[in-house]
Amino acid sequence: MSNDTDWLVGAGLALSAIAATAMLQPRGQTKVTQVPASLPRRAGPHPRASVRAARRLNRAAGLLAVSVLADSSVEHYRGSFKNKAMYTPLAVSALTLAMSAHGTADRRPWAHRLRDGSYLLAAATGLAGTGFHVYNVTKKVGGFSWQNLFYGAPLGAPMAILLSGLLGFCSERVRDTSRAQRPHVFGLPAARTIAAVTAAGLLGTSGEAGLLHFRGAFHNPFMAVPVTLPPIGAALLFNAAARDPDDDQNRAHPLTRAWMWLLAAMGFVGVGFHAYGVSRNMGGWRNWSQNILAGPPLPAPPSFTGLALAGLAALGLMREHPDA
Amino acid sequence: MSDDMSGDPQVTPRASGGRAPDVFRPGGWVPMRSYRDDETVDFVIVGTGAGGGTLACKLAEYGFSVVALDAGPYFRPLEDFASDESEQTKLYWTDDRISDGANPLQLGSNNSGKAVGGSTVHFAMVSLRFRPEWFKSRTLLGYGADWPIDWREMWSYYTEVEQALKISGPITYPWGPKRPRYPYRAHPLNAAARVLARGCEALGISWTETPLATLSAPRGLAHPCVYRGFCVAGCSTNAKQSALVTWIPRALAAGAEIRDLAMVGRIEVDDRDLVTGVHYHRNGGWHFQRARNVVVAGYAIETPRLLLNSATGRHRDGLANSSGLVGRNLMTQSNQAVWGLMDDEIRSYKGPPSLAITEHWNYADKGKDFFGGYAYMSQGPLPQLWANTLAQARGLWGARLVEEMTNYNHVAGLKIVGEMLPQERNRVTLADEVDQYGLRIPRVTYSWCDNDRRLIDHSLAFMTRALQAAGAKDIWTQDDDTCHLNGTARMGDDPRSSVVDADCRSWDIPNLWICDGSVFPTVGGVNPSLTIQAIACRTADRIRAMARRGELTGQRAERTRRAVHATSASA
Repeated sequence: MSNDTDWLVGAGLALSAIAATAMLQPRGQTKVTQVPASLPRRAGPHPRASVRAARRLNRAAGLLAVSVLADSSVEHYRGSFKNKAMYTPLAVSALTLAMSAHGTADRRPWAHRLRDGSYLLAAATGLAGTGFHVYNVTKKVGGFSWQNLFYGAPLGAPMAILLSGLLGFCSERVRDTSRAQRPHVFGLPAARTIAAVTAAGLLGTSGEAGLLHFRGAFHNPFMAVPVTLPPIGAALLFNAAARDPDDDQNRAHPLTRAWMWLLAAMGFVGVGFHAYGVSRNMGGWRNWSQNILAGPPLPAPPSFTGLALAGLAALGLMREHPDA
Repeated sequence: MSDDMSGDPQVTPRASGGRAPDVFRPGGWVPMRSYRDDETVDFVIVGTGAGGGTLACKLAEYGFSVVALDAGPYFRPLEDFASDESEQTKLYWTDDRISDGANPLQLGSNNSGKAVGGSTVHFAMVSLRFRPEWFKSRTLLGYGADWPIDWREMWSYYTEVEQALKISGPITYPWGPKRPRYPYRAHPLNAAARVLARGCEALGISWTETPLATLSAPRGLAHPCVYRGFCVAGCSTNAKQSALVTWIPRALAAGAEIRDLAMVGRIEVDDRDLVTGVHYHRNGGWHFQRARNVVVAGYAIETPRLLLNSATGRHRDGLANSSGLVGRNLMTQSNQAVWGLMDDEIRSYKGPPSLAITEHWNYADKGKDFFGGYAYMSQGPLPQLWANTLAQARGLWGARLVEEMTNYNHVAGLKIVGEMLPQERNRVTLADEVDQYGLRIPRVTYSWCDNDRRLIDHSLAFMTRALQAAGAKDIWTQDDDTCHLNGTARMGDDPRSSVVDADCRSWDIPNLWICDGSVFPTVGGVNPSLTIQAIACRTADRIRAMARRGELTGQRAERTRRAVHATSASA
C-alpha cells in the first residue's frame, strides 16, 4: 500500500473517531427539555405532529442510506476496495439505515442518543468521503479535468450520506423540540431549515446526475429528466422556506407537495431506466455480473426519492406549525 | 440459426437473394434491393470502406441507384470475430503483391482491409481532423501540394462524419480552430494513456483524450465499448463505428445493393471515353455490371491497380492517367515508436489502443528541422503483435523473447503517425505476375526521403524524453514501421498535375470517379479515415448538385453545355 493510501486511511479513521466521540458525548443539557411531560402546554400544535414529521425525516434519511449502502457497495466493489477506507460508507450507511428504521418506528417525543450519534457519524463520513473523492480526482494526471470528473471518484456521491446524516440529525432536533413553541434546529425554524437543506440536496444530486448523464452524452432523452425536475423542486422548496410564517393562506404548498411526490416517483422510475441502461451493454442482463458494474448505477436514482420524502416531511411540519 | 452459419463467408457470398446480413442481430437479415447485371445503375462503387461505403450510403440516400462491390466477405462482427489475433488476420488484404524500394512497405495488417467495410473493420478508430494549413501546405508551409478544397468546407464535412460515427472525444480540443463538441464523451484513460499524459505534462506540451470512433454510450442496437482491447483485430461488440455498422446499414436501408466477394478486375470504357460498367468476379465467374458512373474506392494500392489494369488501346497507360500520375505519389505514414518499462503494471492492451494523443508537433512550427508534422499516441499492442515487434525490431528469439514477454504487462509505448512527403518515385505499378483472379498484381515501391528521416529522428528523440519523464526504464526505439496509404490518384486544380478534381471526378473520363485515400495530395500527421469519409460526404453532395444541374452524364459542363438527361436523383 502506498504512503498516500496510508495517509488517507488514517485521515478517514480519525474523522470516524471524531464522529464516534460525538456519538458517545453525554448530552445533559437536552435531557432537561426531554423529561417533564407535565409542563404547562404552550400555545401551538400538538407535539405528535412534530414527532410525525421527525419520523418521516427518519424514513427519508433511511432511504438515502439505502441508496448509499447499495451504491457504495457496488461502486467500491468495482474499485476492488483498493483503499480500506472504502469500506467506511458501507458500514456507516448500514448503521444509519438501522438507526433510521428505529427512528421511524419510535413514537417518543425526544431524541435518541445512539441515533443522534450515528447521524453525526454519517454526516462526518459524507464530509470525509468528499475529501477522499476530491483527492482521488485531483491526484490523477490531468487534475481537475472532465476526464477525472467523469471517471474518477464521483465528487457528489458522498454528499448523499452527508444529507442522510443531516436530515437524520434534524429529525432528532424536531423530536427534541416537539414540546417547544416551535420545533427548531440550532435555533432556526426546523421545517424551513429542513426544506432549505433538502432543496440544496436536490440541487447537488441533480448536479451529480447532470455530470454523469453528460458523460453518457444524454443519449436517451429521458436522461434530461433528473436534471430538470429536481431543480424546479428545489426552487419550490426554497420558496416555501422563505414564505412568511404568518401567512396562513399559503401554508399548504400544494404545488410543492405535488412536485415532491413527482420527484419521489421519479427516483423509483429512474431505477427502471437504469435497469434498461444495464440491458443495453454487451450481453445485457444475461451478463449481469459485469453490466451492473459497467452500466448506469441502479441504486443512484432513489436518492431523489429520499430527498423528496424529506421535503414532504418539512412541508408537513410547516403546515402544522405555522412558525416552524 | 440462419442458414448462412454453415457457409464460410470467405467462400460463399452472403449478400444475395434480396437480403444482406443484419450486423446487429445474430443470424438476422435485412432486406436489400437487388439489380440485374444488365440494369444500368447510376453508380457502381468499387470498394466499401471509408470512401466507398460512405459514398454508397450518401448517394443512395440522395436517390441514386447504387451497387457497391467489395472483394472481401460480409462479416457478422457479433458472430465471426474471435479474440484471436491469428484468426483475425482474415480481415487483411493478403493477396500477392510485390513490395520493393529502399524502404519496402510491410503490407497487410495496418494498411489494408478485405471485407465489406474495408479496413475500417479493424482500424484503430482514431478520428482526427487535418490541421487547416495542410490543405494549402505548398502555399502556407512550403512543402507538398495544395488541396483544391478549402479547409472551412472540410470543417463542416468533418462535423457530419463525427456525428454520423458518434465520435467519442474530449470536451475541448487543445489544437486548431474551434470545432463542435464531439457527439459522445471521451473514454476513460487506461494506464498506457496516462503515461503519455505524464510525459506531456513533464515536457510542458498539451495532450488530450483521442477522438475515437467507438461508442462511450449505447447507440441503437450497438453496445458501448467494453474495453476488450481487440479493436485492431475486429470489434466483436459493434462499439466500433466501422463503415460495416454505420454507413453500410444506412446504404442498404436507402436502397443500395452491396455485393460481397465481388472482385472488380476491369473497368469498361467505350469509344466516347466514357465508362460503361465494371467486370467483376463472383461465385466462380466473371460478370459485367452496367453503370452510368463508376467510382473507384479501393484504397491507394488497389485503386491505381484497377485503373492501370483497365488500360485499352485508347488509354494505353490506364484509365484517368493522361497526367501520368496514376500510381505515383504513394504516401504511407511513419509509425515509429518508443517503448519502455514502467514499475507499475500498465496492461496497455486494456481498452482501445490509443486513448491519449498529443498533436503538439502537428501544430507547432518552431523547433522543427523538417517539413510536415506528427501526432503521437499511447499504444496497446496485443500479445502476438508484441512478440512479433520484439522479434523483428530487436531480434529477440527463443528464451530471450520468452523472458522479454514476461515484462508485457509493464510495457508502455508512444507511437507516431507522421507525415511523409509525396514523391513521384514512390508508386504502384503492375507486375507481370497474376493473382488468383488472373489479374496482374501490384508492385509497390517505396523509399523514404531525407525529410521523412528527419521527422522520424525528431519524433524518436522527443518521445524518448517524454517516456523518460514519465518514469519509464529500459527505453528502446522501434524505428521501422509504417501505417496507412494515400496518394496514387491525387486531386488538384490542374489536369496536368492531378488525376481527379476537387469533386473526385477524373479529369480524363467524366463519369469515372475516385473516392478514397488515393486522392490525398498530402497525408498530414493524422490518421486519414475521418478525412476520407469527409471527402466522400463532400463528393456525394457535389454529385447531387451536379445531377440537379444536369452535369453528371457525359461530358463536363465546362466543355460542352448540352443539356444532358440527369440521373434519377433529379427525377
